[in-house]
Amino acid sequence: MECGIIKKPDLEKLITYATEQKKVFYGPVAGEKGVEFKAVTSYEEIALDYDNVKLPPKSIFFPQREVLCRFSGDTLKEVNIEAEDSIIFGIRPCDAAALVYLDKVFKDVKSRFQDPYYLMRREKALIIALACDTPRATCFCTSVGGSPAGKTGSDILATDLGETLIFESCSEKGKVFMDKSGLFKRPADRDIKVKEEKARQVEQSMAEIPTPNIAGLTEKIDKDFEDPFWDAITRNCLGCGACTYLCPTCHCFDITDEENGKKEGIRLRTWDSCQYPLFTLHASGHNPRVNKKQRLRQRIMHKFSYTVANTNDIYCVGCGRCITYCPVNLDIRDMLNTLNKL
Amino acid sequence: MKNIEKRIRYIAKELFEKGKIELFIGYEAATLPLKSRPYFIQSKEGAVGSVSSPVANLVWNSFCSNNLAVFLPKLFEIDPRSRRKDPNLKPKIAIVAKGCDLRSITTLIKEKQVPRENVVIIGVPCTGMIDKDKVEALFSGDEIISAEERDGLLTVNTRKGVKREIKRQDVLQECCNECCCPLPPPESTDILIEGKAKEPVHGGYAEVQEFESRTPEERWDYFKQEMSKCIRCNACRQACPTCWCKECFADQDDLRWIGVSTELSDTMIFHLIRIFHQAGRCVSCDACYRACPMGVDLRTFTRNIVKDVDELFGYVPDFNLEEIPPLSTFKEGDSEEFITEPEE
Amino acid sequence: MLNPYIPHPVIIEDIVTENDNRDLKTFKLVFDRKEDEFSYEPGQFAEVSIFGKGESPFGIASSPTEKGYLLFTVKRTGSVTEELHNSEKGRKIGVRGPLGNSFPWQRMEGKNIVIVSGGFAFTTLRSAITYILDNREKFGKITAVYGARDPGELLYKELLKEWQEHSSIDLTLAVDQKPESNWSGKVGLVPNVLKEVGPAAENALALVCGPPIMIRYTTPVLLELGFKKEDIILSLENRMKCGIGKCGRCNIGSKYVCLDGPVFTCAELENLPAEY
Repeated sequence: MECGIIKKPDLEKLITYATEQKKVFYGPVAGEKGVEFKAVTSYEEIALDYDNVKLPPKSIFFPQREVLCRFSGDTLKEVNIEAEDSIIFGIRPCDAAALVYLDKVFKDVKSRFQDPYYLMRREKALIIALACDTPRATCFCTSVGGSPAGKTGSDILATDLGETLIFESCSEKGKVFMDKSGLFKRPADRDIKVKEEKARQVEQSMAEIPTPNIAGLTEKIDKDFEDPFWDAITRNCLGCGACTYLCPTCHCFDITDEENGKKEGIRLRTWDSCQYPLFTLHASGHNPRVNKKQRLRQRIMHKFSYTVANTNDIYCVGCGRCITYCPVNLDIRDMLNTLNKL
Repeated sequence: MKNIEKRIRYIAKELFEKGKIELFIGYEAATLPLKSRPYFIQSKEGAVGSVSSPVANLVWNSFCSNNLAVFLPKLFEIDPRSRRKDPNLKPKIAIVAKGCDLRSITTLIKEKQVPRENVVIIGVPCTGMIDKDKVEALFSGDEIISAEERDGLLTVNTRKGVKREIKRQDVLQECCNECCCPLPPPESTDILIEGKAKEPVHGGYAEVQEFESRTPEERWDYFKQEMSKCIRCNACRQACPTCWCKECFADQDDLRWIGVSTELSDTMIFHLIRIFHQAGRCVSCDACYRACPMGVDLRTFTRNIVKDVDELFGYVPDFNLEEIPPLSTFKEGDSEEFITEPEE
Repeated sequence: MLNPYIPHPVIIEDIVTENDNRDLKTFKLVFDRKEDEFSYEPGQFAEVSIFGKGESPFGIASSPTEKGYLLFTVKRTGSVTEELHNSEKGRKIGVRGPLGNSFPWQRMEGKNIVIVSGGFAFTTLRSAITYILDNREKFGKITAVYGARDPGELLYKELLKEWQEHSSIDLTLAVDQKPESNWSGKVGLVPNVLKEVGPAAENALALVCGPPIMIRYTTPVLLELGFKKEDIILSLENRMKCGIGKCGRCNIGSKYVCLDGPVFTCAELENLPAEY
């Protein structure tokens, strides 16, 4: 089935179906950390009228803390890849698009090395994205090729029509799921019209927000590598790394070993940030990015130049988290606008 | 507040025209409502490329909560590999300082991270800063589009079309409600701008006292709950003006004191040690609390250490350049019981 | 799905201390399981793992023509290398490889090869030279200049002696300053000695491995001798963790040293930011 209607309270049946299928159903739940994805067993736990989760969904597939393997002395003891069958409902289109970029990193475009930890979780997850109603003042997905009703990265795109939700399959996996569940009714023409009107309205709202103009930026950003603009904005930056941790496409990590007094231990993967001075420090003491300017520049260049050179993708989905959470309000939109005018 | 803003702009202009400074640190309007952000102006000769920094952008309002002292240690750091002829050449920097900011600057001067003779301290009387989270909480998730302040009233407009007036007094930051030093003393500044500050509060530890009145189990549960929100991003450490260690204990790996992951014990120890390192140095500016993207309630714990040092040593970091912080010195009357009469 | 993060077990079969300072050791590693043995080309590297300490990337010093074992020469610098240096024969450690790209062997066939190296960066060139000598007919004239601070710091001293007696490789050894002991080689910094040796650039490729400062002064000498930028081949180092292009740490511009490198031509590096 490519398009189906479900009444909001009937999401309960969807959750039950998921449980029967031995899938964990994740939905947006209001909690201590704001709204975050939690396993739900009942429709009432879901908060449908939220803007976006604070921590992007990368934290589900690429958690802050991941045990790569366990060892005892010099011997490998265990490699445990935890991958549950899951349905993740309510991801915003920007975050779903980010998953596609992360897929490329962990799968490696040249298919030489695949990351089983991330990929097995991704394969076992069904992504049901929820189209946006109204953008936040910090949103700019349309500047980077996205859309508040975009389908990239999701298996099913759901749109809130008021009393009902309309589900559209965006992948074979999504189509099969909708068919097998038997929970969806064929949408009436009116439903489709309402959905299209909503999509139009939200795109209109996006046009009214001051989104950055990056047309042509990726072609010329390399030339501005040594521009004093970088020195100027670096002064404000605290080097705190909050932007990278909350960014849905940032994927840098560290690998460290931890062991107890009995030489039993774990090899751990944890989030890391190119904004930290130790990130690129050699054992010899040499540091290719020894000052903050180089590190700040690296973040922007990586997203708007290097990834474009490698896979023709801008690794930014315009979610606006880096703007909202930067303690000194370094605004990427201003940076991009300024860079584009240089 | 508008008068203070005018004065700040005038002072900046004067200082540059008289060649007294190379850098001016103040505030400018942010790109988000309910916020102002740090603002740097270099002298006309050192104007930096395409980013123009006119004095006219300087602001003073109820959103100027950033503690600007955090930028100073790095600006005075001498890079041993620097090729400047005179390794002692340090910039002259003017900085706008509220009471809390100045107390941080005082601590930094005492700890030799900032040379007093190189800073022009522009003291500003503070009537308290507005807490963005408190305002947002009044609108149940509805996004705030604009917030304008006038004569003690904050007019908020939201995305869903709600318009409301709020008294600024009702939404001040907790640290401002408990602030002991809203008016920098004239002798501790180079220029003190005229204006009225709010009334100082002494021994303002109401929230901490409430926390302390809970049972140890309750306190531990709360601490655990808050610590599990932490994602180890280090924003708190970077935003804190007195966290200036060139190599943070948490980053050392030879020996490694704590792990880098969100393992609860590692997170707890990171915060415990960071907060204990702030004993006698924390000014309750809440920069760490504001910087935290996950909303960890750091201020309950930082304020706790401030209260402990106040009670144990009778010391709260203030504007006195002579008084040595208690953990940096030893007095004959200090307790030795833990050495001479250890517990069984 | 193959898990590229898990090291394969290897046993330390032999340890040779290379220098008087005793901070450079060559480890001979043999795979615990025959099926883990991998084929590689000179220039590539591997991540050597010690559980409890971590991993470090090292250029493979052995040539693929040396069957059944891997050689790595390691300088004691940090926690992993310290642990490695304190290890004894028979200890089981781990290896992940081969990683990165190799020297451009296809391009190098039929050409004259000029090899320039300094200090302990010579490791992958040991692999390259051994490989070339084992496939001698495929290559033209081989000229090598290898220098170190003093005679004690030169790696693979026995092998160097063999090569100097070899007629099919023209090897010049150099030390920075005149040593107190008997020294029959040249005295001077590698770039200067290279100028003196003055190898012909015609139909030649240059492989350069050394500390950044040596590379900085060697490249102009090669350019003066007539080498083209795309014919000057460098092997770079960078801080690494995953070694497989995912952790984001070792990038120079859009290239990852662990994936697109560590071997780069001078021409390629010109287009990348100078952040290495």
